[in-house]
Amino acid sequence: MPDLIEKNVPAQGAAGSAEPKPEKPRSLGLDAWHDLRKRPVFIISAALIVLLVAFAIAPSLFTSVDPRAGDLQHHYLTKPNYLHFFQADWFGYDGQGRSIYARMIYGARASVVVGICVTAGVTVLGGLAGMAAGYYGGWVDTVISRVTDMFFGIPLLLGALVVLNAFTTRTVWSVVFALVALGWTQMTRVMRGSVITVKQSDFVTAARALGAGTGRIMFKHILPNAIAPVIVVATIALGGYIATEATLSFLGIGLQDPTISWGIDINSAQKVIRTAPFALFFPAGMLSVTVLAFIMLGDAVRDALDPKLR
Amino acid sequence: MPACTRVRWAVVSATSVALMATGCGGGGGSGSGPSDASKTFTYQSSEPQNPLQPANANETGGGRIVQNLFKGLADYDPSNGKLRMQAADKIDSSDAQTYNVTLKSGWTFHDGTAVTAKSFVDAWNWAANTKNNQINSSWFADIQGYSDVHPSSGNPTTDTMSGLTVQDDTHFTIKLNNKVSYFPYKLGYVAFSPLPEGFYKDPAGYGQKPVGNGPYQFVSWDHNSQVVTKTFANYQGVDKPKNGGVVFKMYTTAEAAYADLQSNNLDVMDQVPPSALANYKNDLGDRAIDAPQGAIQNVGFTLYQPDWQGADKAKVRQGLSMAIDRNTITKTVLQGSRAPASAWVAEGVEGYKAGTCGDFCTYNVDKAKQLIQEGGGVPGNSLKITYNADGGHKEWVDAVCNSIRQATGVNCAGDPKTDFKTARAAITGHQINGMFRTGWVQDYPLNANFLADVYRTGAASNDTGYSSPEFDKLASEADQAASIQDTATGYQKAEEQLANDMPAIPLWYYRTNSGYSTKVQNVAFDSFGNPAWTQVEVKS
Repeated sequence: MPDLIEKNVPAQGAAGSAEPKPEKPRSLGLDAWHDLRKRPVFIISAALIVLLVAFAIAPSLFTSVDPRAGDLQHHYLTKPNYLHFFQADWFGYDGQGRSIYARMIYGARASVVVGICVTAGVTVLGGLAGMAAGYYGGWVDTVISRVTDMFFGIPLLLGALVVLNAFTTRTVWSVVFALVALGWTQMTRVMRGSVITVKQSDFVTAARALGAGTGRIMFKHILPNAIAPVIVVATIALGGYIATEATLSFLGIGLQDPTISWGIDINSAQKVIRTAPFALFFPAGMLSVTVLAFIMLGDAVRDALDPKLR
Repeated sequence: MPACTRVRWAVVSATSVALMATGCGGGGGSGSGPSDASKTFTYQSSEPQNPLQPANANETGGGRIVQNLFKGLADYDPSNGKLRMQAADKIDSSDAQTYNVTLKSGWTFHDGTAVTAKSFVDAWNWAANTKNNQINSSWFADIQGYSDVHPSSGNPTTDTMSGLTVQDDTHFTIKLNNKVSYFPYKLGYVAFSPLPEGFYKDPAGYGQKPVGNGPYQFVSWDHNSQVVTKTFANYQGVDKPKNGGVVFKMYTTAEAAYADLQSNNLDVMDQVPPSALANYKNDLGDRAIDAPQGAIQNVGFTLYQPDWQGADKAKVRQGLSMAIDRNTITKTVLQGSRAPASAWVAEGVEGYKAGTCGDFCTYNVDKAKQLIQEGGGVPGNSLKITYNADGGHKEWVDAVCNSIRQATGVNCAGDPKTDFKTARAAITGHQINGMFRTGWVQDYPLNANFLADVYRTGAASNDTGYSSPEFDKLASEADQAASIQDTATGYQKAEEQLANDMPAIPLWYYRTNSGYSTKVQNVAFDSFGNPAWTQVEVKS
């Protein structure tokens, strides 16, 4: 509750002690950041995510090979040459004679875009719905909660299969749409619970007594104090959305060629697993590392944001 | 032969010396030894969908069994696909519309009753009748009076087709609606089999315990497990069985069958599973089978869309065909399970002529680019190949697209539809624009089947909307030819027209990739992908 309880952490750090400065009041966010940057789990996962985002933004920095160019005649399932760092044949070639390394790099874009956009979408949509339900209560809460319950009854994967089947050509955006449409309820529940708790705080009553309007109370006073659990859930869920996208693509109902997706590559590699296990290993490994990085990040953020766990 | 090297390490023990002698002696399975004509062999099959009635089996599970229990007027020689007479002594016609059938005498059903002209005519009338709901009833559509017993809606007005007349016990005539010079070729299909008198009293019961006139007679049907047959002693056909019978073992996965084959628990396989394609020739040595099949894979164009009309666009299509590296794709992605196509008729079919497609089916990047440019380019410079995602086509569609994209710069991508039904609906409903996966599996091994039924204007399977007056003219001329030989030659001329118009690009021919155990020999497969059952010899 940063607005009220301002922690006065004594400056006892090694650097701080030499030259005592007037301690600035720290917000919960700043506090969490100070805590986070000391955690190895956070540092590792953040580094991985920075690398992934770099793959997604500028894949051509990492490889000059066209990930869609296949040379069946010379490179059909050619074995990897692990000493050829950052070259086309580093991780070998797949069943279409395409460089697995290049496809691994280019595949990051779809995963990162789906992960980030779906998370942003569900946080905004679910957050707003949850805030309305928690703040207004009454029939608004009843309606929103029942709708949430209804959506909760649909398994994410099954629902996404049905929704995506309706698209004749599927791009990253259709997958984002399907996952947001089915995933927002999770955030609604978290936000609603959090808002109900915060709403009863004294500072909200105080703000209301001072004559603050609904909008001001909701966005200036309640939101900053209720958002922490949503951020934690969203960060952890991000990895899950990436895995779901890969699952859908693996099943042939997610992304389509020409989009490059690890899920598609895993699917095509499983048919040649006896002769070319490396074709499966690298996209699958990359997917695992990505999902792991986001889940680890979510864990670290949760530990940092939740004072009870310190 | 890896199996031999594996055994060699254990040669110290006396038992494994014996193993080596049986497993590897005489070069695996091909070495011909003495055979025992009373022994049965097992064949990989699947549970029949329908009762075992000859006109009610168009899936492989039931079809294979039925064609061993029944024998019609004629069948196809497994070695060359040519029509050969069986129950018929001769089938002749002066005008290709009325056929006179003369039966051989001495043929009997498994229950001892004689096979007469009436056995055929009654069976055909029964099978064609709407009331009896036989899957293959449309095969009789050429015969005069078919529409009376099988109206497109409502009840039949009569029970007999007017085109069929019994003269005496060994003679009957077939009158057709139109001239079809290759009609005898259709008669080789199992739907044209005769039925014994007893059948009509209890068709359903006969479907469970069929009585036929074929080389094998029914013994037992243990549902979802096996169908047992034994050799019919009084079989009069030209292909007298060299074994004691066939046991059709039901398998739900090809992987399980392949494992059984390797451990000698299964004698002859249907088709090796895709996962074993890369290794089966090493695993089985000279017991591996790699034979042509009467089936072809094509990609068709949506000629009904304005984008693909006009004489220039034929050049674009020819160019696209030259941008596909068939040789490499069949060797790598398809693991040798297909052979590059050079014509629109599959290999091994009567009237097949290699190279009809000519240079247009040969990979040539420069010529491909030039032709596409001359034809005004691919509309929008992008192209989609629609296919069904449930048939294992993704790999080769992607490979074809990669080949086209890299050779010509046309932005090609696969367009998978969830399943076969959805893909067919999009293709026949004209909802797509570009290319689509298509293909043809022979109904009977004659080139007319690959051409007339697919490329003639308005033909039932003409998915491309191709309509060429020239092709139609040559096809009808061929239909009215005096002999099957002339028909085949006539259709070869019509096929040449396809190279000019390129309504569909021939990609490759299917092959039978199979194998057999060490217990049998003399196993050969026909163009339907079936072994020549009666010729299989079981080692004594």
